[in-house]
Amino acid sequence: MTEVQLDLTVNGRRHRVSVPAHHSLLDVLRDELELTGTKTNCLEAECGVCTVVVDGKSVASCTMLAAQCQGREVVTIEGLQDGGDLHPLQEAFVEHGAVQCGYCIPGMIMTAKAFLDENPRPTREAVREAIAGTLCRCTGYQKIVDAIMAASQRLVQQGERP
Amino acid sequence: MKVEFLEPQSLQDAVAMAKAKGVGARFVAGGTDLVIQMRKTGVLPEAIINLQRLRALGEIKHDADGFSLGALVTHRQIESEDRFLGGLQALRESACVIGGHQVRNVATLGGNLCNASPAADMVPILLCFNADVTLVGSSGSRNIPLAAFIEGPRKTQRAHDEVMTDIRFPKPAGKFASAFLKGGRRRAMEISIVAMAGVVSMSAGGTMTDVRLAMGAAGPKAIRLAQAEKFLEGKVPSKAVLEEAGKLAAAAASPIDDVRASASFRRHLVGVYARRVIELGWNRISEAGNDRSAA
Repeated sequence: MTEVQLDLTVNGRRHRVSVPAHHSLLDVLRDELELTGTKTNCLEAECGVCTVVVDGKSVASCTMLAAQCQGREVVTIEGLQDGGDLHPLQEAFVEHGAVQCGYCIPGMIMTAKAFLDENPRPTREAVREAIAGTLCRCTGYQKIVDAIMAASQRLVQQGERP
Repeated sequence: MKVEFLEPQSLQDAVAMAKAKGVGARFVAGGTDLVIQMRKTGVLPEAIINLQRLRALGEIKHDADGFSLGALVTHRQIESEDRFLGGLQALRESACVIGGHQVRNVATLGGNLCNASPAADMVPILLCFNADVTLVGSSGSRNIPLAAFIEGPRKTQRAHDEVMTDIRFPKPAGKFASAFLKGGRRRAMEISIVAMAGVVSMSAGGTMTDVRLAMGAAGPKAIRLAQAEKFLEGKVPSKAVLEEAGKLAAAAASPIDDVRASASFRRHLVGVYARRVIELGWNRISEAGNDRSAA
């Protein structure tokens, strides 16, 4: 038996899974844990659509081995809401209509989440740079940036950040 | 086929595991190249040896002689390293254009060098700084100049049971500046059409000295531009001098035609970026009292 026995912490919950050593974190999230909010797209870390947050940093789950996530904290789009309340980023995306086809949005929001956690008061330009690795092929960037800026203000106001 | 996953806790273990498993084993650090290669080729290694527990290889150190970057240092660490401001800023400039944040957060310098893409953006500036790499294998440890380590596209001197442990370079003497520029079709998430790095010092007489120039993505491997460097030595970067240096740089390129650019356009860009990098380095070193801009 050469599958890897993993103890994965995803969205605060521990999961024991057995996965082939070459499977990606994306494979395990979607196929084993049925967390299908994280989308499959380019599979080459080019598009950012599969972005999740691992130990506080945004990563492309398509190119990270699940086996390397043993003992690390993974947060996916499903982990942002709090008891049914949307995260300020999610609210802002809804309010600003920052969603067209929607496919990139989970990755876009997780990219923004990791960025805002480290940069609570970003400039618009910094936000644009931060999401450079996450592609929206509907090209709806204007409203996406608007939403991230609005969310950053709300998060600061909520006193969640210093 | 089942793939074994091995987790060495020490460098010695990693080397021993690779030796025991033979050529069918692959090391993994960040995984951003390996996972794609496995998926694209459908070829799976017999074993994947995870290097991430070798935490000692994830540090950036320096002493009076120079810097040492552990092979597991991520691009993110390099782009946010305060010691790489001033004269060493081209290291940050090179690191911050590789992939997106999601890649730079995990992809390692050692992985980038061992993968040996001709377009690897860290290579030109490390060539300018005369970097050496250290490999540790079952028959001991050895240092190789980076210029010799990378032999060609995806080809290095690393034996299958050797782990790259660190990348070292001496700090150039005196006041110097560095610069890196990348030519691509867009600003983000781009594989370079041309990558150009330079280091320059200023002589007491106000001319360029110890000029170093290296290009990537314009031939089978990144190289120093010896003729252009020699030509620039002792000169002031006038328009005519820059023009000539650009021509010498372009003559040293051996670019390919591909989906990103034609060979002739790449060659043209080599000339343009060589000029711009020298100019940028020179402006940086000429700025103000300079103790800050030249580390």
